[in-house]
Amino acid sequence: MKTALYRLLAAIVLMAPLIGLAADEGTSTNTLEELRQLRLRTEALEKKIVETRPAASSAPTLAAESTAAQKPPLSESAMVRGWRSFQSFNPEISAIVDMFYHADDSADGISHVTEEMSGFGHSHSGEDHHHGETENGFNLRHLELQFSAEVDPYFKGSAIAAVDLDGAEMEEAKIETTCLPYGFAVRGGKFFSDFGYINAQHSHQWDFVDQPLIYQLTLGPHGLNDIGAQLSWLAPTPFYLLAAVEAFQGKNDMIFAYCGEDPLPHHNGPRVGVGWLKFGPDLPGNHGLQAGLFGAMGKDQEAHDGNGDGDSDHWLDGNSMFWGADCVYKYNSPQPHGKGDLTVQGEYFNRRKDLDMIANDLNPALVGNHRIDDQDGYYLQAVYGFCERWRGGLRWEQVGLVNTTKLPDGSREDFGSSYRAGVMIDFTPSEFSRLRVQVNHGGYETAAGREPATEFFLQWMISIGSHGAHKF
Amino acid sequence: MKTIARVVAVMATAIGPLVNAGADGLKIVTTTSDLAAIASAVAGDKAEVRSICTGREDPHFLQAKPSYIMRARDADLWIRIGLELEIGWEMPVLDGSRNRHIRPGAKGHLDASECVNVLEIPAIPVTRAMGDVHPSGNPHYWLDPFNGRCIAVAIAERLGQLAPADAALFKANAAVFQQSLDERMFGAELVKSEDGGRLWLKVREGTLEKYLSDAGKADKIGGWLGAMRPLRGKKIITYHRSWSYFADRFGLTVAAELEPKPGIPPSPAHLAEVIELAKAQGIGIILQEPFYSRKAADLVADKTGARIVVVTNSVGGEAEAIDYLALMDLIVSRITGTP
Repeated sequence: MKTALYRLLAAIVLMAPLIGLAADEGTSTNTLEELRQLRLRTEALEKKIVETRPAASSAPTLAAESTAAQKPPLSESAMVRGWRSFQSFNPEISAIVDMFYHADDSADGISHVTEEMSGFGHSHSGEDHHHGETENGFNLRHLELQFSAEVDPYFKGSAIAAVDLDGAEMEEAKIETTCLPYGFAVRGGKFFSDFGYINAQHSHQWDFVDQPLIYQLTLGPHGLNDIGAQLSWLAPTPFYLLAAVEAFQGKNDMIFAYCGEDPLPHHNGPRVGVGWLKFGPDLPGNHGLQAGLFGAMGKDQEAHDGNGDGDSDHWLDGNSMFWGADCVYKYNSPQPHGKGDLTVQGEYFNRRKDLDMIANDLNPALVGNHRIDDQDGYYLQAVYGFCERWRGGLRWEQVGLVNTTKLPDGSREDFGSSYRAGVMIDFTPSEFSRLRVQVNHGGYETAAGREPATEFFLQWMISIGSHGAHKF
Repeated sequence: MKTIARVVAVMATAIGPLVNAGADGLKIVTTTSDLAAIASAVAGDKAEVRSICTGREDPHFLQAKPSYIMRARDADLWIRIGLELEIGWEMPVLDGSRNRHIRPGAKGHLDASECVNVLEIPAIPVTRAMGDVHPSGNPHYWLDPFNGRCIAVAIAERLGQLAPADAALFKANAAVFQQSLDERMFGAELVKSEDGGRLWLKVREGTLEKYLSDAGKADKIGGWLGAMRPLRGKKIITYHRSWSYFADRFGLTVAAELEPKPGIPPSPAHLAEVIELAKAQGIGIILQEPFYSRKAADLVADKTGARIVVVTNSVGGEAEAIDYLALMDLIVSRITGTP
């Protein structure tokens, strides 16, 4: 039933642009007419250049100049400008290089500690999570190659290739409508879900080197990024209200994993549905506020190797869901170079996994029983521009305030909570480069008790190519 | 498919009236307050004009906040400065607004830089090692009153296309705006006997002085041009490369900027060079906007005795700058040191 619902949702989402196109027939002829007129105008201008060139020394006629409607005569510089705007038909291209030095004082490395955290530390689909692991010493994040352009009067497109030492990966490749009426927009492709605040941000946009702990533990280093479609609607209300539904294939191996491996059942995609709302009052002056609510549900499968012999021996299948809330406040100071700017943001995230034991080679009696995982977490951070080009930030995080696992044998485990505190200072020489130093200290709840760890980061990143623009 | 189309159609008819509710006249949204001031003068009471930037902020560094998206959502006409001034936030606002009528290329999108004289278009390929250089030219063009005049006409033309019934009114309003601008530029007395358009032509040819002295009216130059006459040919220092158009129009030369490169805050080494230069060339004026720190200017003024002129370059940036003409009045009076 649910799968059928997801499929219907996806169908609606995908059909919407076609409807928009049909309703938009008038625009396309308009555009053709505009193009024709533009060409005529260009021809007229070219004629004018030819006409005015030889007579450049003689004064332009008074009649032409005194009517104020006249544009200034086409100068050589204006022609240069014409060429430049022609060039902008090419997609905007940029690349981001992001490296950091990391050191921590834990025995096996911080990545090992976070992987072993009670209640969170399962390796779900049987894969190792080497991706996104932070090593002591130098780290190079993937090189982000971004391409974006208006496709035509109806769509825009963008793609981000993530290149690292192991090869290239498609981080995003999406098509978005720009032509739909009544505040609707449809997106399709592979993209970051827009739920919450930080999920849709790329790592170079974060105000701290690392991702919030709750995101890392529940969604993995890439957050919720999947192949799917999104239908969003900007309401015609006197305040800002944006609502969206998203359908994804379900390829996140932390929360919406799908292995399809025997004996697990087969599920058709899309297997994940997401819904979210964002609200923003019309604040005066330099204040900006946005608050959101979100929820998601989808199929989830796990294959485990209980006896450690290298082969899966028990299999779970069911649904995972998460819900939460986000809020961000920004003060944009009138002082230059970010002095006095303030950003305060926080998100709460709660997840539940409700999985059925499908098969169990070790203890067949448990088949049909449930395992339910309830975990949550939040982060709260503030970043302030204390000086021109310099910012300082504090972040406080807790995970596992709710941290229980109901096991298939009917027993219930209650784990404790973990915390992490971070402080960072960054320097932004220009809009295209940034240096950052950050220190984290955390107490992580693992099977061995609470493990303290202190981390140090020194980050250096740059952006080359076209000038980016960021959402609120 | 048919059912879906019907559902969407029903939703659309239900929502449609809400979207247009209360939209009596046109809604114009401009990126800067200067464009808003000119648009108000041209639109009169036929449109509601709102600006994204207030005049107290730097339009290059805004955040695409929800309130801006709401304004864009309801706009019939979006007017921008262009030349990449708004590049850091404009598209997220336009994308977020889902308003297809104001996207670049649409009739409801006016890039005011298309109708003005643009200065400082780099003749060689630019790299970012040169600082925040705008590859299509310097975007602070509204500080040349001639460009203000051109913008008014372009807005009237576009408004006329959007609301053909009022096209004549917009044209007339633009003419009134130009008339008042010409009077402030050249002095009311001169504009009484000479056509404003002809005076501008002579200004742009650089032959106004000769033309007027031939006509025996050399002493009749008033307004901003008259007030700025004693400063003609003088060299000044500015904080940012934001006064090129003003300086060019009134015959000032910007000899140096306090910023070593556009968008890079002053460094001690660079200021030492500026001080040397100011001493050597006898530069008497340092011009900067109120949102920049005065420390660098104070230092240079201390060592050279130059006068610091702090004045906004945008409408609404100071209490007196209530509209475009008042802004130019304020700038001229501050620079000339006459209250």
